[in-house]
Amino acid sequence: MRELECDIVVIAAGPAGLAAAISAAEREASVIVLEKSNATGGAGNMGMGPLGIETRYQKEQMIKLTKEEAFKKFMDYTHWRVDARLVREYLYKSGDTIQWLEDMGVEFTGASRYFADSEATWHIVKPESGRPGPRAASRMYKIMTQRAEELGVEILLETPAKKILKEDGRIAGVIAIDKNGEEVKIQCGAVVVATGGFGDNPEMIRQLTGYEWGKDMFSFRIPGITGDGIRMAREVGAGETEYNIEMAYGCPSENGYTTVVGIHMQPNLMVNLLGERFMNEEVLANTTFTSNILAVQKERCGFSIIDDSIKKYYLKSGIDDMNLVNHVKSSENYDVEIKDAVEKGDPYIFAADSIEELAEKTGIDAEALKKTVEEYNSSCKERDFLFNKNYRYMRPLVGPKFYAVKFYPGGYGSLGGIKINYRTEAVTNDFQVIAGLYAAGTDACSIYGDSYVFVLPGNTMGFALNSGRMAGENAVEYLLKLYAED
Amino acid sequence: MGNIKLTIDGISVEAEKEMTVLQAALAAGIYIPHLCHHPSLPDVGQCKLCVVEIADRDGVQTSCTTMAEDGMVIKTKTDRLNHMRTLSMELMLAAHPSECTSCPKYLKCELQTLIQYLGVSDARLRKLSYNFPIETGNPLFVRDMNRCILCGRCVRACRTLRGAEAIDYKKDNEKVYIGTENGGLLADENCKFCCACVEVCPTGALRDKEEVVSGFNKAEEALLPCKASCPAGTDVPRYVRLIKEGKYSEAVAVIRERVPFPLTLGYICMHFCESGCRREAVNEAVSVKELKKFAAMRDNGLWKENSKIAPLTGKKVAVIGSGPAGLTSAYYLVKQGHDVTIYEKLSSPGGMLRVGIPEYRLPRSVIDNEISEITDAGVRIVYNTDIKDLNSLSSLGYDAVLIAIGTHKGVRLPIPGSDLKGVMVNTDFLLKSSLGKKVETGSRVLVLGGGNVAFDCARVAKRLGASEVSMACLESRANMTASAEEVEQGLEEGIVIHNSRTFSKIISENGSLGVECSEVDNFYFDDNRKLVINTVPDSLHVLYADTVIFAAGQIVDLPEEYGVESGRANIIKSENYQTNKAGVFAVGDCITGTTSVVQAIAGGRGAAAAIDKYLGGDGVIDEVLAPCEEPGAFIGKEERFAHRERKQISCKPVEERINNFDEFEQAFDAETAHCEAERCLQCDLRLRIPKVKLWGDYAHK
Repeated sequence: MRELECDIVVIAAGPAGLAAAISAAEREASVIVLEKSNATGGAGNMGMGPLGIETRYQKEQMIKLTKEEAFKKFMDYTHWRVDARLVREYLYKSGDTIQWLEDMGVEFTGASRYFADSEATWHIVKPESGRPGPRAASRMYKIMTQRAEELGVEILLETPAKKILKEDGRIAGVIAIDKNGEEVKIQCGAVVVATGGFGDNPEMIRQLTGYEWGKDMFSFRIPGITGDGIRMAREVGAGETEYNIEMAYGCPSENGYTTVVGIHMQPNLMVNLLGERFMNEEVLANTTFTSNILAVQKERCGFSIIDDSIKKYYLKSGIDDMNLVNHVKSSENYDVEIKDAVEKGDPYIFAADSIEELAEKTGIDAEALKKTVEEYNSSCKERDFLFNKNYRYMRPLVGPKFYAVKFYPGGYGSLGGIKINYRTEAVTNDFQVIAGLYAAGTDACSIYGDSYVFVLPGNTMGFALNSGRMAGENAVEYLLKLYAED
Repeated sequence: MGNIKLTIDGISVEAEKEMTVLQAALAAGIYIPHLCHHPSLPDVGQCKLCVVEIADRDGVQTSCTTMAEDGMVIKTKTDRLNHMRTLSMELMLAAHPSECTSCPKYLKCELQTLIQYLGVSDARLRKLSYNFPIETGNPLFVRDMNRCILCGRCVRACRTLRGAEAIDYKKDNEKVYIGTENGGLLADENCKFCCACVEVCPTGALRDKEEVVSGFNKAEEALLPCKASCPAGTDVPRYVRLIKEGKYSEAVAVIRERVPFPLTLGYICMHFCESGCRREAVNEAVSVKELKKFAAMRDNGLWKENSKIAPLTGKKVAVIGSGPAGLTSAYYLVKQGHDVTIYEKLSSPGGMLRVGIPEYRLPRSVIDNEISEITDAGVRIVYNTDIKDLNSLSSLGYDAVLIAIGTHKGVRLPIPGSDLKGVMVNTDFLLKSSLGKKVETGSRVLVLGGGNVAFDCARVAKRLGASEVSMACLESRANMTASAEEVEQGLEEGIVIHNSRTFSKIISENGSLGVECSEVDNFYFDDNRKLVINTVPDSLHVLYADTVIFAAGQIVDLPEEYGVESGRANIIKSENYQTNKAGVFAVGDCITGTTSVVQAIAGGRGAAAAIDKYLGGDGVIDEVLAPCEEPGAFIGKEERFAHRERKQISCKPVEERINNFDEFEQAFDAETAHCEAERCLQCDLRLRIPKVKLWGDYAHK
């Protein structure tokens, strides 16, 4: 068995792990990062950017949101059922973290909203090609990786951590398996766990959240994010938090069909299997809320329905509701995709020549659907008496063809697992600090309560970077004290 | 080697004359983004990411197709180049899914690392949507043309590395894609499933099926499951290829690098390799065990040329028991220079090889010959010596003791009547019959148990002359623990099997024995690992016989005087073969419970390494016995390759085999063996293709 030694081992090289490694190395700690896959950035590579408050971008854009206001908004949203000190530490640090990243060479396009009613806290990373889009943040992880290496951090790729070692009541090392399958023992004084949760572990999802992946939950499954960190921390005594999915609804079709799915995420008529409306479709822009409401429908699903006239409207006038993630801008591929989906018998995408046929194909109650469409069509002439949806989105369904897409709860991954305090120290269920153990990012993200705080976008990456940074700083502080005592 | 000098990004670099600019830069640790380039494949300059500026030349050049020249001054990172790379990348991404999140290659994807390196988003261009169906019809990998960026690496790998040309660029209306000539399955294109195309794919377009590669720690294990499943780690694809080439002694040398019993294993190995074989997914696994037997029967002893014995260390080791585990340990310890004596209770060596496995499955001459190689190496065996306690050994000056006493004590179920006259246990029955001692069985024999040992008992009883032999066991026919071959051959030999029975007592009536049974509806093990059986109501009945043999497992016959810690079934507790007593090690079935010969041998190797370390050695027992060879990778296509069926062995007819102990399975002849060896997919060839280094691996990014 190969043996190594350093001050701090960081488990996983995603946003939280890289931030922890850099901040510790900036304080002259020797750091080894253990990464399971062959690249850095983790789940952060799929994202676009982190939350920041009171940044220079916001000042330039005349966005007045203060830390205090953001904190209040956050805590009111979560009904004060989360660790307010931890939330405060994170939000108050977030502006400085944006500056910290810029000092490394990261550029942002500015502060953005996710949807119209959210705050502009989302700092999207500027890509080389100028216009931001999905995966934009991956560039930031290249820069952070380089910064870490400049500072002497050793990143061991394809070297998953297997076990955290504890001796005399404090953290003493980590066992990992290297590229060649050999065990490596790393002696260290502190460990930061940042493995990104359990989004790729259906068994844990079932046990801890009650959703059954592939049946009523279709969250992203970043390969390898299987709850390693939570398991290892638990083995050395770390306590538990609430668990959750970072919800965002979606259509499970494997074939992509980005245009069809994107068009059906517009505020069209939405019904459940009983054939009834169950939400003001304007809320679809908030993917967390939509996922929540889908989760309480029959079989946890809903159908967005349009007809040829609405399709034509989108083709002519563009889509109503823009956001930065659902980047469909026009419906020109709609017909090609629908044809393909119908030919392949896609189980989530439907086309029919009448409402009755649509009901038969989708399994929606036919009588109720007919009644709902009639009511909806007549509401279009006056107003939406049921949910008061904005009249601009009230368009009658007249045919001749009707189209539906079936949506389910989905999400970005898991939330919660390792209990930490506001110094990012892992603690037991009894709030005893486990000396030398720190957790950051999604493994320890229990600050949202029941629902992702979508009103302040950029939260998950923001919490990962800021809690990672805090963990790196606090671990160094701990070690300095420890070494002074020895 | 004509060395030339060039300057790349201000760094002075030495290179070889035949190198391209890209090769020169990468060799010097200077990263130039590239995607269609692969170190094993001819360059085509297709992706345009590797563009560079060369002083005194107009425009930009693709560095993968430009030869390095002496004195060249090259820039790899300028605004212009960056702009061009960004545009090339954007064009590639326009037809690639925007979300990586649904792709199993996430974080193992070269394209993703290039998106990261170049910081390119696909938001600027109009998305192209092709909606190719994801093809899962191939047994080994998934083909998702939506994620293909048409770099052509797979086409080049198939053509230039393998000479196969099973796939090429195709066009369907406006969609360009990569596929087979007629759009059919690869099996019908005479592809040999080497998976080189999957290995070189830089995106999620071609990817190993999750279910095929999951459950392994390392990529190599996942891709060579035959080798990974072998407890002793024999290099299966390598020796199968040597057999195909007619190099039988070389093949045996490869096997002997890991096990000292190639022919024995050729006869009776549990062949875990075949359960792992990737060819199983195509049609049927390669018949590896029979190939091993075929080669081992034709060995001319080439392996001895490279087999070395280290100078004497002066350390003495005693081994208790001469079964496969003890013999293997003793052999490797002697080769490490230690003085080794085996103490054997019986008058002949081999342990379960001799007194457990019946002769019709393993001829005694095979055991004798392979053990004589071990004694020739210097292992001493002292027979008829039962070691009752370990003190007698320490007084003889041994530096280490290895307990390898197997599981030789058969178990009687705790039911009334289990010790009646005429009731025997498996181990005694097989031991006596193996040693030619008289065994009294009546004409009707009933074996209680459904594993391989139970079949050994039943089939031996048949050969000893019992007219009616039957078996009864807890499991249903489909869930019997015996191998399918044993069940099939046993039934052929007229053995009656009563499945799903549980036994309540044995009775003696009118000079005949009767086993009272109930039919089992289902059974399971509860949380405390206790067996719970639910029976069919009113199903109580009696099976009559003259002789009843318990074949319900064996335990370790462990003398208490050894003073070693043990657990359930007397299994000795050990950590890395070390027992609780200093200098006392244990190996084989006595630390694992009854397993297989190949597991015992693998354990024997492990224990030898552990003891060697304990005695001050390095614990390295690995050896190179086979001469080096470069496998031919240019395998081409072959008519109906995927459809070639597994070769079966032939058996002597039942009437010729049930009244004697002669072997009855006919080994492969040369033609059959070559045919079978040719069925191997040679999955190891893929592992010889070098891995692509990513941007993070280079010093100058």
